[in-house]
Amino acid sequence: MNQPSSKDRTPILRIERFQNWLRFIRYEPIALVAAIVTVLLTYLVLAPVGSMLVDTVRVQIRDSATTGLEVGSYTTYFLHRVFVSRVSDRLFWTPLARTLIIASVVTLAALPFGAFLAWLTVRTDLPGKKILSSAMVIPYMLPSWTFAVAWLNIMKNRRLGGLPSIAESFGFSPPDWLAYGAFPIIVCQALHLFPFAYLLFGNALRSVDSQMEDSARILGAQKGVIARRIILPLLKPALLSAFLLTFSRVLGSFGTPYILGSPVRYLLLPTALYSSFQVGTPGVSAVIASVTILLGMSLIALDMYFVREYRRFVTVGGKGSMSRLSALGKWKWPAIIFAGLAFIITTIIPLVTIILTSIMYRPGVFSLSNFTLDFWFGRYISIMPGQQGLFLNQSIIAAAWNSFRIAGAAAVICGITGLFVGYVVVKMPNSKTSAFLRQVSFLPYLVPSIGFAAACLSFFAVRRGPVPSLYGTLTLLIIVMSIKYLPFASRSGISAMMQMGNEPEEAARVAGASWGKRMSRIVIPIQKHALITAIMLPFISGMKEQSLVIMLATPGTEVMTTQILRFIEYGFSQLANATVLAIVVIIFFVTFLMERITGSNLASGFSRS
Amino acid sequence: MGTIELKHITKTFGPTVKAVDNLNLTIESGHFICLLGPSGCGKTTTLRMIAGLDMPDAGEIILDGKTLFSGEKGNLVPTEKRELGLVFQSYALWPHMTVAQNVSFGLEMRNVDKSKRKKIIGDVLDLLHINQLENRYPSQLSGGQQQRVALARMLAVSPDVLLLDEPLSNLDAKLRLEMRAELKRLHETLGNTIIYVTHDQLEAMTMSTKIAVMHEGLLQQCAPPMDIYRKPGNVTVAEFVGSPPMNLFSHTGGKQDAVVESIKKCYTEQKERIDIIGVRPEDIKVVPRGTEVGEDTWYYPAEVQTLLPTGSEWIISLLVEDVMVFASVADDPEYKPKTPAAIAVKKNTVHLFDSQRQRIDFSGSR
Repeated sequence: MNQPSSKDRTPILRIERFQNWLRFIRYEPIALVAAIVTVLLTYLVLAPVGSMLVDTVRVQIRDSATTGLEVGSYTTYFLHRVFVSRVSDRLFWTPLARTLIIASVVTLAALPFGAFLAWLTVRTDLPGKKILSSAMVIPYMLPSWTFAVAWLNIMKNRRLGGLPSIAESFGFSPPDWLAYGAFPIIVCQALHLFPFAYLLFGNALRSVDSQMEDSARILGAQKGVIARRIILPLLKPALLSAFLLTFSRVLGSFGTPYILGSPVRYLLLPTALYSSFQVGTPGVSAVIASVTILLGMSLIALDMYFVREYRRFVTVGGKGSMSRLSALGKWKWPAIIFAGLAFIITTIIPLVTIILTSIMYRPGVFSLSNFTLDFWFGRYISIMPGQQGLFLNQSIIAAAWNSFRIAGAAAVICGITGLFVGYVVVKMPNSKTSAFLRQVSFLPYLVPSIGFAAACLSFFAVRRGPVPSLYGTLTLLIIVMSIKYLPFASRSGISAMMQMGNEPEEAARVAGASWGKRMSRIVIPIQKHALITAIMLPFISGMKEQSLVIMLATPGTEVMTTQILRFIEYGFSQLANATVLAIVVIIFFVTFLMERITGSNLASGFSRS
Repeated sequence: MGTIELKHITKTFGPTVKAVDNLNLTIESGHFICLLGPSGCGKTTTLRMIAGLDMPDAGEIILDGKTLFSGEKGNLVPTEKRELGLVFQSYALWPHMTVAQNVSFGLEMRNVDKSKRKKIIGDVLDLLHINQLENRYPSQLSGGQQQRVALARMLAVSPDVLLLDEPLSNLDAKLRLEMRAELKRLHETLGNTIIYVTHDQLEAMTMSTKIAVMHEGLLQQCAPPMDIYRKPGNVTVAEFVGSPPMNLFSHTGGKQDAVVESIKKCYTEQKERIDIIGVRPEDIKVVPRGTEVGEDTWYYPAEVQTLLPTGSEWIISLLVEDVMVFASVADDPEYKPKTPAAIAVKKNTVHLFDSQRQRIDFSGSR
């Protein structure tokens, strides 16, 4: 009830309002706990980033030996080293320039294809488009570095040594530029992000009501005019948003540039950060991580601006929104071939090479004796002394168990906290707590994973007050992952609670139910499905997470994704591929389970997570 | 049982927005009272404060002599202990429970034993004619059926006070009429106090024993429906109640002033107080120009603009000087659009208001 009031009425005192709030809280214990969560979130999100910013100008123990400066003193040495010294090109400027160029090329390559495919499935009579639109979710669900692993399977050359690649087995030795570095990185990233662009566009296109086009047509507009003056302006914010999000994904992804860039020492910003971290220069790492965070944040901030612009355009409700389909006519077959190829290249080829690699001694040699299940079940593998097949391999089993525990715990924490944030936000609309909670829980979304991991490392590596040093513990990984995924969980929590609204709970209140009864008998049962989704989605993301964990995983806390990188480094590509496949199977299985339980379709829900 | 007193209730949202301003209202036991007003007038907030879902900033809420809330002492009785009934606009049925479970919930909260519960549920569902829906889920019900379940859920605990927040606004016109009759029947059967929030004046007029008109957080008038209609206490009430709305003439410095002066001439007593003049559409007779009228009638030339048939009557829009005036007549009018005519109004049907927008009542003139 918003109502302007006249001026001559008595003002309400601040104190009075505060007292009322206290009275309110007595019957809404949630508000108190909300305050605690707010403090905790602030500490866990803001403190690491702040501490890292300080580290860019403060000398740490590991740096004092090399720089000769006193521990804890302030210096511009690191800023100088990263931005202007002789090594700054190698340390920072070259990786930065490469990252920006590669991100632009990838984005420009992925967007038009994605947009075109989206148009085909949303606005034309393409046969089988229902199947296609659900099939295109699959490549998006694959971890981003799957393509890099598949690429190495096919294209790696003698530089990396070890087993021959499929190309080599066919007698072709790929040159370095084709095997490693910029070109494969661009191709793999573009293939991974193309379905992402497709999903973003598809959703935007679906929201454009064809009655708007019809109105233009009735007023005499030709097709070209309609596209130029109606559709494009409506889609422009979505287009810009897709561009920025794709760009920021490339900026923040670690796996692909690491797998494909390391053999030729081709560093992008995330890998440069990792390498400086490995060399053991925390000050330099802090500077690079800060830049990464700054870049990522500005991209997302820009995107949020455009999304808000876009919301301005959303004027029509669901009713009467419909799309008119264009007939493809003679272009039907080329369109089908295009769509089919898109699916084959983004899904079938990488998965098939990964499966094949995991069951062949020598990749690409198709003789019966070359096939084996040793890499899955073998107690002893002739070509890899000391290693066992996936199901018997101690390091894989340990890593899998770690992955499960970390992703599982983080997912449960996220899901519950998210729903809880949603509850508070809906329960206390217009309050400062709710606005603050909403914003703080969204903050981690702005920070690129690898930068955030670096920040947490700098913050939690040493003992701070009552909090012991967490470096090398599972707890640290769980905390970092929970925070990083919280934005998605709390966003879905908020929307689920918004959808339910306050009234079912209020009705129970009027009926005489206490807070505990209301939660256990009304709120949680109604939100059961939302809760399952809010737990399973972060779990899936956690299982395939690499950028976030690479800095934090230590020999004792190795997870599946980092184990894959180790295997690739050691040349155990079959084991690496088997592990990739195991992750993919887990992801598919959990997704399937979730769809079965909740009866939901991920095609829409996945688009931004 | 079921007398509610609201004393000096004030509620603000944010730093400046006063949703309810110093509301004083006593709702006697057994009344069917409608809080009527446009959206944003504070009526739903008032209802929610009675239910305890919102906390007033100041004032007192008293139920049957027991203080539920007091600005000084705080919230003495939380919602869950107030033992009221509240039906939401959205019904707020619990989607994961069947009809019977929805109705049973409140009884379980009051620790009613199982056999007794079963009997009450049966009775309530019978009362609302929905006993065949017992095992359905809310998503399997039509809007009207959901409405009945929402009512049944609250009636099951037989509250002394039943609060209804625009419960019929999501129903189509025919069902709404049916439910209006149903609600009135229930009230007559059960005799509990009903506080009903609506912005629909027809709903308020037809069902309630008293209407409280609210506007911008302030209570404008609280009286039986026909009093509200026949003797609106101020211009705001006069404007809001009645369809088509009351025609108003006031001093604007334009051509309208001539109309106001012309009416003023009819009165001798307290003439200088008259500032705003209101005439209900049904009190206006459209007559040919130059018609002779009696002493008791006010006459003014006008021009017919358009004719709007509603089926049961005709609404004629006329231009009186530069004011658009609506008249409603039962017989087919013999005027064509854009033709000159005149209006004739019995003086004792004219509503007069002073410059404070308050009603002026004349002892003998009505």
